[in-house]
Amino acid sequence: MGEKPDVWQGTLALMVLRTLETLGPLHGYGMARRIEQTSGDQLQLNYGTLYPALLKLEQEGFIRSHWGVSENNRRAKFYELTKAGQRQVKKAAADWEQATEILARFLSPAEEA
Amino acid sequence: MPKLRAFWVRLSGFFAGRSNEGDLDPELESHIEMHTEDGIRAGLTPEDARRQAVIRLGGVEQTRQAVRERRGLPWLESFLRDVAYGLRTLGKHRVATAAAILSIGLGVGANATIFSMVSRFVLRPAPMGDPATLLTLHTTHDGDECCNNFPYPVYADIRDQAKSFSGVAAYNELIPASISGRGEPERVWGQAVTSNFFTVTQLPMLLGRGFVSGEENAQAIVLGAGLWRRRFDSDPLIAGKTISLSGRAYTVVGVVSPAFHGVDQILFTEFWVPLGNAPVLAPNLPKPSDRGQHYLVVVARLNPGVTRQSASAELHTLAARFATNYPATDKGIGFVFEQAGSLPPRERNAVLSFFAALSVVVLMVLSIAGANVANLLFAQAAGRQRDMAVRLALGATRGRLRRQMLFESTLLGLGGGILGVLLSLWSTSGLSRFRLPAPVPLDVSIGVDWRVLLYSFALSLASGLLLGLAPAWAASRPLLANALKGEDALARPGRRFILRNILVVAQIAMSVVLLCVTGLFLRSLQSASTINIGFRTDNILMMSVDPIVHGYTPQRTADFMMQLRERVAGLPGVLSAVATDTAPLSGGGRSDGFRIPGSPDSPNSWITTELFMATPGYFESLGIPRIAGGDFGSESATGPRVGIVNQAFVDQVLRGRNPIGAQVSGAGVEFRIIGVVGNVKSRTIGEETRPILYRSLQQTVASDPSFIGYTLMVHTAGNPSSVAQAVRRQIYNLDPSMAIYNEETMEEHIRAAFFLPHIAAALFGTFGFIGLVLAAVGLYGVMSYAVSRRTREIGIRMALGAKPGMVERLILSQGLALTLIGVALGWPAAWMLSRLASTFLYGIQPHDVFTFAVVPPFLIAIALVACWIPARRAASIDPMKALRTE
Repeated sequence: MGEKPDVWQGTLALMVLRTLETLGPLHGYGMARRIEQTSGDQLQLNYGTLYPALLKLEQEGFIRSHWGVSENNRRAKFYELTKAGQRQVKKAAADWEQATEILARFLSPAEEA
Repeated sequence: MPKLRAFWVRLSGFFAGRSNEGDLDPELESHIEMHTEDGIRAGLTPEDARRQAVIRLGGVEQTRQAVRERRGLPWLESFLRDVAYGLRTLGKHRVATAAAILSIGLGVGANATIFSMVSRFVLRPAPMGDPATLLTLHTTHDGDECCNNFPYPVYADIRDQAKSFSGVAAYNELIPASISGRGEPERVWGQAVTSNFFTVTQLPMLLGRGFVSGEENAQAIVLGAGLWRRRFDSDPLIAGKTISLSGRAYTVVGVVSPAFHGVDQILFTEFWVPLGNAPVLAPNLPKPSDRGQHYLVVVARLNPGVTRQSASAELHTLAARFATNYPATDKGIGFVFEQAGSLPPRERNAVLSFFAALSVVVLMVLSIAGANVANLLFAQAAGRQRDMAVRLALGATRGRLRRQMLFESTLLGLGGGILGVLLSLWSTSGLSRFRLPAPVPLDVSIGVDWRVLLYSFALSLASGLLLGLAPAWAASRPLLANALKGEDALARPGRRFILRNILVVAQIAMSVVLLCVTGLFLRSLQSASTINIGFRTDNILMMSVDPIVHGYTPQRTADFMMQLRERVAGLPGVLSAVATDTAPLSGGGRSDGFRIPGSPDSPNSWITTELFMATPGYFESLGIPRIAGGDFGSESATGPRVGIVNQAFVDQVLRGRNPIGAQVSGAGVEFRIIGVVGNVKSRTIGEETRPILYRSLQQTVASDPSFIGYTLMVHTAGNPSSVAQAVRRQIYNLDPSMAIYNEETMEEHIRAAFFLPHIAAALFGTFGFIGLVLAAVGLYGVMSYAVSRRTREIGIRMALGAKPGMVERLILSQGLALTLIGVALGWPAAWMLSRLASTFLYGIQPHDVFTFAVVPPFLIAIALVACWIPARRAASIDPMKALRTE
């Protein structure tokens, strides 16, 4: 594999939700670019994997979609958060923060025995 | 919740199918175009920019596929594809599929039938509220076998003192009565219960209510749902109405739910009255104050949170207290209990071992059937190896092929299961029609309930999977090179389908066991039918009446029976009419200890003797030979008691003394013997001949009346059923309200008495036959397959000069070898297992020489026939054709 890490299982959904929360309605390509940027170009995102993830979130009722016109006057499908999605971002973000915090304690240099 | 929602969306996506591809294509197109534009802006050529965009996307088709899988339910799709493919394959091999489904169906059907008995008698809880905390209590006595009923005072003490129970109720199991309502009067059986019975059992009511406290002596009645429907036209307003029970007015307070016929689930009772009414309805009941007479069944409801152990411990303490307080009656008393509605503890072991024996047999039938199907699947797998090899070569995984094969065998299993359930529906309704030889109504009907369905489903699923495993494994590993060349790819060098041969040997071994058991039961039926029962079975019509429940005094009862006999005897076509209390071979009856007065008093000197009542002419009418002395005449009811005894009584009680004029005592009275008659079977056909003393009906009607009514026996010149109408009319002429019951001919009565040998022979005969046919088919299948595989070899042998006869012998000897091994394994197993059956055999030993000598040659003969057909085919092989099949 390349030098850049892949997107971890399960985190893509949170990245999508979080991106939509910050930027509002956005199409798939914009979202992909945005996620790469936000990661400081450290993530290797296969754009194609975004679409099943979007479909899953839509099936779960966290986002909804509609066709619109992009900044460059192109027809594109836009996604936005639903009410349930907004709640889900909060919850998932809190969960992740807790998980990473716990893991960080294991990884930080041992303070005392 | 989001998961569930997503599942529904995907499921609907699955059903929408291809039409629901959505707007993914335009979306991806717009994605690529935007990406391309960005690329051009960054200085790439349009071609490079587009290429880059597609690469970063990871391929358009791949993305489409990933989304499609997310949209529908891929596992469901591939599952249904496998099922469809499986059905198609099974449909292509119709004969093999039908044979497999039939085999499994017979096996599952046999198991479901037996399991429906287990479900009915062992697993089904009584239809009352919270059956797990309702217990049936029994008393025990030191050194006694389990169990006995309760005297009223002991019940009352337990009710008042035991803290483990929230309520304790008691009832008298069987009270006869005649009941009013639509049509001719009918005699029915009911129970007399304490007023808290309905509260303690939490019995669901269809209508009205149960009894409440204060109704101990009320003339109130609760009806069974069947009785209510049959005699009162399902009157929805019956609660509060008055009906007539044995000539007394009772107020109906409720109707119980249709499933309830009694707590024990065996007796079939149809009405319930307060216990205070019992002495009126059943005159010879013990007094409630008598602590020595055990006649009540006791049920108790456990308090919430009280375990059975602690209840048992408390009862133990109470028993010790009773023994101290009432040493005369309660010395050595103890209490045991089981969940109400379970098998009665006395019969429990016999019933369970009968079911165990049957279960072993039907599992064997299923195993034989399973071995057949496994062999069939093997043959099929061999036929499909080329197909498999091609699919493997094209990239199908072995796991996928295995799954495919397992799907097919599971479908076969489930198909067989459905057939099996249908078969068991038919067989259980057939078995429910068997009548039990009992003077009281029993509910022993069986049926297919949810437990049976669940069991059958699990059994067919398991057998489908199990049967498919080995063939699936073998078929998914063909030797590719051989298979693609069209050669045998399953037969690995050095292995000659050992597994299939093992299956056949196992089948034959199990058939030996089955056939031996079947043989034993058929021999038992044969020997039972030659048992000399000692009396006439043809041209006898029987009808029972119970004047006592109609409020007759003893004198009126005696007059009624006398007039009835005279009138019926005068009917055309009637040779004689006599009366008794119970017809012989009714399964049970009165008995008591007898001895010669003045002989040394020890427990052994009392010989248990059956008691029957008889009127003059009884022995002639029944064709029982008179050996010595005379018949009953016109004895006065109060005169000295006389009795007529059978030969066994002379041998065992009188020990060879001159019987005529001898005095014997028993049943609390002294009898002078006036005659000796031939032996008859008294209770069951399988019994050792018992001593019998016949009492004069005239002399017992007052002092010791029959509890179960009186039976009129009419000896006719021709068909006994033809006079039934005329006899009934004579009864109604004497008393139009008299209920008539148990109307049957002696032949019907005897058929019921043969219940056990008949049902055993029917069950085991059917299972043995099925097993034999299945095993023969299995052997035939294996030998046919062997011949077809060796066609070329046989062709070469014949081309080199082998004669058809030699080829035939070659094949026959191979089949015979398998058979002999199977017999050699099965015979000793049968020898050992037959002991299990010994309790249920009539007049033959479990190691019956005839059965064990005949079964092996019989089976070998069947096997030879099964092998002979393929052997003939082998011998008729044309060497030229066989060699040209290359």
